[in-house]
Amino acid sequence: MANDFDFVLIAKVLPILLQYLPVTLEILVFSILFGMLLGIGIAIPKLLHINILRQIITIYISFIRGTPILVQLFLVFYGIPALLKIVHIDVTRMDAMYFVIITYTLSNAAAFAEIFRASILTVDRGQIEAAYSVGLNGKQAFVRIIFPQALRVAFPNIANTMISSLKDTSLAFSIGVMDMVGRGETLIASTTRALEIYLALSIVYFVIVMLLEKVLKSNERYLNRYMPKEAVSS
Amino acid sequence: MTIDFAFIFEAFKEISKVLPLTLFMTITPVLLGILIGVIVAFVRIQRTKFFAPLLNFYVSFFRGTPIIMHIMLVYFGVPIIVDVLAKALKLNVQSSSIPILFFVLLALTLSAGAYASEIIRSGILSVPKGQLEAAYAVGLTFSQAMRRYILPQAFSKSIPNFTNVFIGFLHATSLAFFLSVKELIGVANIVASINLKFLEAFIAVGLIYWGVSVIVEWLAHRLEKRVTAYNKGGI
Repeated sequence: MANDFDFVLIAKVLPILLQYLPVTLEILVFSILFGMLLGIGIAIPKLLHINILRQIITIYISFIRGTPILVQLFLVFYGIPALLKIVHIDVTRMDAMYFVIITYTLSNAAAFAEIFRASILTVDRGQIEAAYSVGLNGKQAFVRIIFPQALRVAFPNIANTMISSLKDTSLAFSIGVMDMVGRGETLIASTTRALEIYLALSIVYFVIVMLLEKVLKSNERYLNRYMPKEAVSS
Repeated sequence: MTIDFAFIFEAFKEISKVLPLTLFMTITPVLLGILIGVIVAFVRIQRTKFFAPLLNFYVSFFRGTPIIMHIMLVYFGVPIIVDVLAKALKLNVQSSSIPILFFVLLALTLSAGAYASEIIRSGILSVPKGQLEAAYAVGLTFSQAMRRYILPQAFSKSIPNFTNVFIGFLHATSLAFFLSVKELIGVANIVASINLKFLEAFIAVGLIYWGVSVIVEWLAHRLEKRVTAYNKGGI
């Protein structure tokens, strides 16, 4: 039967797909890095209650949380060239990779901003008063007292955002990036074996997500090392 | 190039006609997923032999792979299983007669089941053990205690998580576009290619998704307030 499931093909395409794993990881690393920086930047006006800026950021975060990443990809892909055309910069020949990194950065920044804001607000007000009472100034109090405690609270959420961001990278192929899924699509065209290739892709994603989860879990334990045993939920 | 605002409005009207399909593709998988999730959560909490490890793998696989993979695996995998079964049982069923929408719904349901089971599991585990003991003490059976005490509390605590899952799956329906289902993005693409105004069409789609998400969040917030009214504190 021509429709027989081909196990050997999965083993054959795995090494080919793995060659494109660095592209997927590149998208992930850059978008997380830039997303964190932008996220900190946009969390500050919300924490300091700076009017107008705060409202704009609230709308931005709501929009990112309210639309699928696929729509955001298309909006950036068609929107940025249109915006830049106004100032006479032609980016229609720009590598699709940049559009993908911009989209995921914007998307991650919204998630990180909410996480940072919420985690700083969970630190007890008495902590900062205690810091002042022992003679620390505002900056020292933030860096030494507030930030380490906020990080502990924020870390599980940061980890979740990283993992869902990794899974979201699977959509980068839709605007023409040659990542793992993009390579998979070309393999499907040449072998006409869609199921085997998607299974191979799923295996790769599953293994990477599991590895990332393990690494993040051990980091979480490290951040919680000063907490009493029963307060740490495993 | 300038943005054609009139066309955004045009596209908005045209695209929002398929909003019922998108809502159907969201609500069905989430409801069925909650049903699966309750069963899976119980099996995993009770540590039933054989089934618990199997369902552990089900949950971690579906949570560890992108939803687009689930849709593709179901779309290409289920027809093979159906054909083999039909041949073995001599049934007059052909996989080619199954509508694409069915595969999307099946994939999203399986996926939602995995996400919902984790939420329900943590919801049940968050109810103090004393509640179950108290229910036994007044003479309720296990299933009565679950239905009347544990599950209502677990669900009310899980409302924010369920809202996130619902919105997540509302957004996941956009992936059906890759199987050329005519949902919001699919129609936006058609509308855009006729007029070659992609940006405007996708702005319209973005506004539709955004609007629905905001409404869902608002409704969930009101529901949460009502359901947790018993827990307000004070006298």
